[in-house]
Amino acid sequence: MPEYKSKPYSHVVRILLILITVGVVGVAVRAMVLPKSFGQYGHYRGTAIEDEMNRPIRNGTNASCLACHPYIREMHMEGVHKTVSCEFCHGPVADHVKDGKVIAGLPKKQGKEIKRLCLRCHNQIIRARPKESIKMISMPQHLEQKHVRVDHNCNQCHNVHAPLMWVKEARAIVGVGEDNR
Amino acid sequence: MIRAIEKEISQDRRAFIKKVLGGTIAGSLLLVIPAGAVDLTGIPEQIPGMRGDTAPFITKKKFAFIVDITRCIGCGSCCVADKNEYKVPDGMYRTWVERYVIDDEDNVYVDSPNGGLDGYQEPREDIPHPTRDTFFVPKLCNMCEHPSCVQVCPVGATYQTEDGFVLVDSKRCVACGYCVQACPYSVRFINPETKTADKCTWCYHRVRKGLLPACVNVCPVQARKFGDLNDKDSEVYNILHQPHVVSVLKPGMGNKPALHYVGLRREVV
Amino acid sequence: MSPEHGVAAATALTNYVFPNDIHVHWSLMIVLYPYITGIVAGAFIVSSLYHVFHIESLKPVSRYALVFALAFVAFATAPLLNHLGHPERAMSMMLTPNPTSAMAGFGYIYSAYSIVLILEILFIYRPTLVALKQTATGFKRKLYGMLTLGSDNVSEKSLALDHKIIAFLAAIGIPMACTLHGYVGFIFGGVKANPMWATPLMPVIFLLSASVSGIAGIIFSYVLIKTFTGRFIDMDCVRTLIKFLWGCFILDFVFEMLELFSHAYMATHHWEALRDLYFGPLYSTFWIAQVGVFSVIPFVALGILSLVKLPDGVVKFFGSLISLMILVQVLLMRWNVVIGGQLMSKSERGHTVFRPEWFEKEGIMVSIVIMLLPIIFLYILSKVFPFWLDDEPAVEKQSA
Repeated sequence: MPEYKSKPYSHVVRILLILITVGVVGVAVRAMVLPKSFGQYGHYRGTAIEDEMNRPIRNGTNASCLACHPYIREMHMEGVHKTVSCEFCHGPVADHVKDGKVIAGLPKKQGKEIKRLCLRCHNQIIRARPKESIKMISMPQHLEQKHVRVDHNCNQCHNVHAPLMWVKEARAIVGVGEDNR
Repeated sequence: MIRAIEKEISQDRRAFIKKVLGGTIAGSLLLVIPAGAVDLTGIPEQIPGMRGDTAPFITKKKFAFIVDITRCIGCGSCCVADKNEYKVPDGMYRTWVERYVIDDEDNVYVDSPNGGLDGYQEPREDIPHPTRDTFFVPKLCNMCEHPSCVQVCPVGATYQTEDGFVLVDSKRCVACGYCVQACPYSVRFINPETKTADKCTWCYHRVRKGLLPACVNVCPVQARKFGDLNDKDSEVYNILHQPHVVSVLKPGMGNKPALHYVGLRREVV
Repeated sequence: MSPEHGVAAATALTNYVFPNDIHVHWSLMIVLYPYITGIVAGAFIVSSLYHVFHIESLKPVSRYALVFALAFVAFATAPLLNHLGHPERAMSMMLTPNPTSAMAGFGYIYSAYSIVLILEILFIYRPTLVALKQTATGFKRKLYGMLTLGSDNVSEKSLALDHKIIAFLAAIGIPMACTLHGYVGFIFGGVKANPMWATPLMPVIFLLSASVSGIAGIIFSYVLIKTFTGRFIDMDCVRTLIKFLWGCFILDFVFEMLELFSHAYMATHHWEALRDLYFGPLYSTFWIAQVGVFSVIPFVALGILSLVKLPDGVVKFFGSLISLMILVQVLLMRWNVVIGGQLMSKSERGHTVFRPEWFEKEGIMVSIVIMLLPIIFLYILSKVFPFWLDDEPAVEKQSA
């Protein structure tokens, strides 16, 4: 019968001690690293709401743009495009003004870009648009109908901010009535 | 004649900007503004009574989001505004607009090139039968009453606030992608820049500051509506309490979306 | 126009995928994850067949199967960590597990199972390790000292206590191994938004395929290691394993087909999308590879190997070859479920494509490396834990 230094159950006791230690350390680490507000309102970090609330706002409203652009305001707000967002065509105001200072100019759409922008809403051929909500035109039939060159851009007849402004003014000057839509 | 008017306007505008930036406004704007964010002073509240309320939950109002697909013209303004508001990486969509075309043989054709971000410039020409009907359907987070994403998130990084907003804590998200799989509406994605789950929040940060969600704010035809159900004069209250064709997406999923659609068709998934 | 043609034309053209579904989020890593945990669960079951159910002919692989399971369990989380966008936050799964999340339990189930496995190995190997410590020097001696927890007591009383503990661990190990893998199946089966995954059969299929891959892994590696080291192969053991493999594979394959069949038979609105998936992008990996080559052939071959009396050499060669095929079958099944399920958009109007790259964070090369790691670790473990009973040091034989 050989002599053993250890008791018959000493390894079992040691294993249990290791497992208990791991458990205790785990609980301790959890208490240390858990965000303070975790579980405050539910199974999440309570201050995450605040983080989300303070996310920077990048788009303003038309009011924020037109506050500094009164002439555009006058045109834009009186025309049929008054519901069109400034920032849709020009980009978010956060890229333009920062801390009360102009940091960069916003792009103005040019040439064919303008036509593309107009046709996003007014292209008859897309069909899926409810007729009652906005006016639809077909290109190039619209240009042919109005007897202008087919390479004309929309903004040569229509002020993009108030599409009917120049049309109405021209009619007033020339004295033409509403003949064909 | 026309040219002259245009010139005059642009000259005047330049002069005005110079004058304004020289003094008046610049002085009043040195208040608290987070970097790269819009300063709220001078911008009227679109949702009255929200500013200054920093309590964790919105208690006075009960917000509802309604999309009217009978009004949507598919211009994609909402998508542009959303991408600008959140700098959404290319190929990921917090909101998008789908185009439905139904032919006279009951076949349904759907597309959403680049999520409708570039608008719809071309008609579909790959449809063999005459078209019976076409319409646009904007999509965004459904803010479910029983959100699958919150249910499956293993670490509590996506959560539902007591006022019904489902949000993501980007400081705790591990980007396992389980919520992306679980969302029946596929509104979630893993943002390649933050490497966390991301989705539409109904512009929670704007709403808390009294502004409408970016997409609602820019919609030119009021196809997207956001309002307070506690206000009995509000349009959303009227829509949800008067006879209207109103429904939600995938009701069979049992998620009980808070996002309602006016004029929803059965073809829409 | 016939109705069939109309449907075909419509589905071909309406191929609409939700914009956020174009990208497949769960990559090759999530294919490997259930594959590795499946092998672990299966190997453990092999060991339990001997330790709990006393199938004596499996004694030669009973210890090896545990070490084999340990080698794989050690790397079960490797693909997961590589997949996470924020692996440094992985411990949140353990620290703040969301009680409603099907995924949150994995950390605890996996850890508990790993502990049971390690403890079982330490107890089963204890007399061996004590004997090895006596002859070892330097680092190895220290290592054995640690693994024996500083105890040299191999008295009858001590070993009797060990046996009780081993029996207990093996007994709780079986439900745990089943839970581990049935649960992995549930991670997929619980996603109601995905009609391909959301079936109550998913945990069953995952569990059965896990058993199959574990047994196949043991047969293949047992024959391979023994052949290359020029040692005696216990053919009785191999034949028994093949019978178990056949039995499990019958269930596995039948349930896999049953699941598909019920989808097809019920033909709900989901089926249209699923059919397009199975006969579209999954045609070659599912029908040709998983079902045609790697299921039907092993299905028949295992039957012949189990029922017909064949020479040892034939059983040895074809047994290991078919096991290898089964290992491929299970990998293909993981691919078809994990990737296939994501190819179908939740619009149920179309599917996307997924082509893994060789060299990317979650690409093919990384997958190969991850699959090699357990094998390398198994080799290292073989230097510490002698796999085979005929390797036992003399001391053990006397005491046994």
